[in-house]
Amino acid sequence: MNDLYQEQILDHYRNPRNKGYLERAEASYEDQNPLCGDVIRMDLAFDPPLSGDATPHDRRIKEIRFSGRGCAISQAAASMLTEMVAGRTVAEATALTKDDLLAELGITLSAMRLKCALLALKAFKAALYGLGSLY
Amino acid sequence: VGDVHPHDVAAVLDGEGIAIRGGHHCAQPLMDRLGVAATSRASVALYTTRDEIDRLIDGLATVKRIFGIGER
Repeated sequence: MNDLYQEQILDHYRNPRNKGYLERAEASYEDQNPLCGDVIRMDLAFDPPLSGDATPHDRRIKEIRFSGRGCAISQAAASMLTEMVAGRTVAEATALTKDDLLAELGITLSAMRLKCALLALKAFKAALYGLGSLY
Repeated sequence: VGDVHPHDVAAVLDGEGIAIRGGHHCAQPLMDRLGVAATSRASVALYTTRDEIDRLIDGLATVKRIFGIGER
């Protein structure tokens, strides 16, 4: 019957990890899916901070927070993504693919719901791409 | 069904063999006016049977169970 709403999805939906904002975010991006009204914002802080002189790709994601609203799939995917990338270097995080996230979600999605699941990744990548202009 | 998103309501009901419409219904200005992100709509018609309505009610109970409404 309802294989979409498995325990790992509902767990992240009910108890989202890393939800909130970073007051001193060094990179942020908010994206939305106008068709369903889902909104996801990603806030990132790095170690060493951007003001330091380490090469961009060696920086680690020290802190990440997501905020927004939407269906269980979009919110659970955002929560899972933050856990996947926290502590990773920018290079590692940039290399993350949608298949990595979908594997973590562990469910088969229709084309419509795929957009829900990938909104968080889209916002996250956009926040990272924004760093490119700094170097 | 509490604050469960209409797309989640529709997806769960779909899994139970019940088709409803969830989302903006191509009426985004109305959603803004209502102050909601989206809504769920059961499109009841002359040919809808009593049995189908019963299944919808059962389906909504399943939605509540999956999303833990009434447990909190």
